[in-house]
Amino acid sequence: MTKATTYGAGVATLIALSMGLALTTAARADYPEKPVTMVVPYSAGGSTETLARVFSKALGDELGQPVIVKTRPGGGGAVGSTELAAAEADGYTIMLSGSDPLTWTPLTLSVEYAFDSFTFVSQISEYQQAIIVRADSPDQTFDDLLARSKANPGLTYADQNAMSRAFIEYIGNEEGIDWTGVPTAGGGEMVPLLLAGKIDFAWSGGIHSRYGDQMRVLASMNADRLAASPDAPSVSEKYGIAMPGHMLITGPKGLPDDIVAKLSAAVQAATKNEEYLGLLEGKLLFPSKYRGSAELTVDMETTYANLKKIVEATQ
Amino acid sequence: MDILSQLLVGFHAALTPVNILFIAFGISLGIVIGVIPGLGSVTAIAVLIPLTFYMSPVVAIAFLVGVNKGGTSGGAVPSILLNTPGTPEAAASAFDGYPMSRKGQSGKAMKYALYSSVAGDTLSDMLLILLAAPFAALALQFGPLELTAVFFFAFALLAGLTSDSVIKGLLAIFVGVFLSTIGLDPIDSSPRMVFGRVELFDGLPLIAVAIGGLALSSVMFQMTELWRHGDTHRRHDTLAADRAQNRLRPAEFFDHWRTIVRSAAIGSGVGMLPGLGVTLAAFLSYGAARRASKNPESFGKGNPEGIIATEAANSAVVGSNLIPTIAIGIPGNIAAALLIGAFMIHGIVPGPFMLTMHGDVIYALVASMLIANVVHLVIGRAGIGIWSWVARAPRSAVLPPVIVMGIAGVYLPNQSLFEIGIMLAFAVLGVLMRYTGFSIVCLVIGFLLGSMLEGSLRKALLLHRGDFSAILSSPISMIFFAIGLFVLIRAFRKS
Repeated sequence: MTKATTYGAGVATLIALSMGLALTTAARADYPEKPVTMVVPYSAGGSTETLARVFSKALGDELGQPVIVKTRPGGGGAVGSTELAAAEADGYTIMLSGSDPLTWTPLTLSVEYAFDSFTFVSQISEYQQAIIVRADSPDQTFDDLLARSKANPGLTYADQNAMSRAFIEYIGNEEGIDWTGVPTAGGGEMVPLLLAGKIDFAWSGGIHSRYGDQMRVLASMNADRLAASPDAPSVSEKYGIAMPGHMLITGPKGLPDDIVAKLSAAVQAATKNEEYLGLLEGKLLFPSKYRGSAELTVDMETTYANLKKIVEATQ
Repeated sequence: MDILSQLLVGFHAALTPVNILFIAFGISLGIVIGVIPGLGSVTAIAVLIPLTFYMSPVVAIAFLVGVNKGGTSGGAVPSILLNTPGTPEAAASAFDGYPMSRKGQSGKAMKYALYSSVAGDTLSDMLLILLAAPFAALALQFGPLELTAVFFFAFALLAGLTSDSVIKGLLAIFVGVFLSTIGLDPIDSSPRMVFGRVELFDGLPLIAVAIGGLALSSVMFQMTELWRHGDTHRRHDTLAADRAQNRLRPAEFFDHWRTIVRSAAIGSGVGMLPGLGVTLAAFLSYGAARRASKNPESFGKGNPEGIIATEAANSAVVGSNLIPTIAIGIPGNIAAALLIGAFMIHGIVPGPFMLTMHGDVIYALVASMLIANVVHLVIGRAGIGIWSWVARAPRSAVLPPVIVMGIAGVYLPNQSLFEIGIMLAFAVLGVLMRYTGFSIVCLVIGFLLGSMLEGSLRKALLLHRGDFSAILSSPISMIFFAIGLFVLIRAFRKS
């Protein structure tokens, strides 16, 4: 892997030298001249991939070149992120993903990239993360759940990835509660466990909104309350921590400023596409939330620093 | 009769020329893609979803259901003709299909496969119509503990199936389970045996392992045999004699009705449990047919019941895995997960509200599925003529292209050369195992089910805090553990 990267860098240097700097700048003004590849580091069929299919069409229309979705699932997003980090910073390889493979993964696993291997282009939406229970659960509020957990140690919950588990454990530590976590590979595995009553509560990345009054949101794991459940408090109100829920577009480190600006503008215009908005807000029940590169980069740096604290506290 | 009238409305919506044309198109594409080793219905659906953006919801989903049906039954063709199953789910079709092929009865074997597919599929579609809601409620009762028991039962049944000795079968399964533990630990995400390679974080790639172990190793084995002994396949004397022994009358097929119904029931049962998959259904059904048979030793030597059991069961999954999809919004397998994606693109959110909010679409979908079964029969029957032509070609001309297709099939979805390497390694391992009497099929199935077994076992241990007496609190798990134990003890006694 390292060898391949070095080789790739060598070739890139050679090309840059032979072309001359002036030529490269001129070529950049015409960006994009060929189709752009958008990596989705998750498996086909999930909500991110579904969304990417529609979003790529809108983005392609704005850029004037087709945007091709390429799924590279594996390692909770680590495989696709590795590929992006190793790609050339020419704007022809970008990625649509959640932020945890870019932040949580390099903090907790040994991967071949770091937090600073990426350029943050724009945010387009936010995962609707929450702590949920079944409709007939005795817990009406998050405080009910905490009280019941203290009275009955060992209540079970389903998480969906390492980050969600760490956050729930962090809350458990703060409250002095002993919870038993059951790992699931995604919402598809969590829902049957919850509906069958085999677990007491669960972490959800947003799938609960499809189940209406069969599930109840007790708390938002995002920094703010969820728009669909304004009565449930955010964990940030009580514990000062929140899970980053960004759904964002990134490129490899060192993406030139003019390309970032061009991409960012196209992304902003694409997020106003009606077909895309219909799927995002109407079907997936995710909010459209655009943020440009500068604002997003500052936010991601704060996020990363906060996550680092959580990692140090729980591991 | 409410269901009946809604179904009639569904048929009215589904019986349009455009819809039938796209069903036929989907089935033909599915069969062709299913025939190519390495490409199954899952890849086919993933590749074809963008095509459906331009169709109405009913047409789009009927098209994808057609692809799914065609892809599942197309996989049987290379199993029967060349002993090179393109997917693990069709591996059991090769046990009896290939021996029949060697006797010059490849056409008959393919007819058995097609008719059983359609019969199993139709029966499970009817279950979907009549019993979606109660079945979904039953399926929810299968939690981690119950699934662990089901896997134990499956392994017990498999061990005695494909190998000459139970010990060798169990060993192959255990090696498969061991290989499935490579990758990120499902609980604390720590990497296990990945040697620093990110590609291995999600474990060895399943398609590469299956194609290498099942299809490529069989091709390499056959080529070695060809080189050592020459072509031992029976040559066809005349076309007329060939026709006579490949004829299959309906009465002859329906004589096996017990196996058809049993296999469809097993396939439907497995299909309605989310995540268990087509392969488990196929092998459970094959094992059950062999146990129920009066002369089990004829299995593996060209008994058509082996083909019927496999194909009826794996096709029955196609219909019934929509039960959890429609009733609780949870896909029964990867193909159904991709269908969920297609539903959502067309504005239908799967889940408990799908039937009430989009009932018209669902009944049109069900009607399309029933229509698709008829279309499948017609197109599949026409296809057998073409595949029979392949069967008459010399081995030395047919086998090399399979290697090329296998490599292309593994490379295409993720464009990773690493996976090609894994595939070749498993091809060599498969050849070695074939020469030493170990079952590579057991290893691949062990690998496939191993990660599910680990997931459910560890979840069960967490949920019940390591208390084994929890088994006694669940009747479903008690039953499966008891039958599994019984099967294992009997198999040991016999050998």
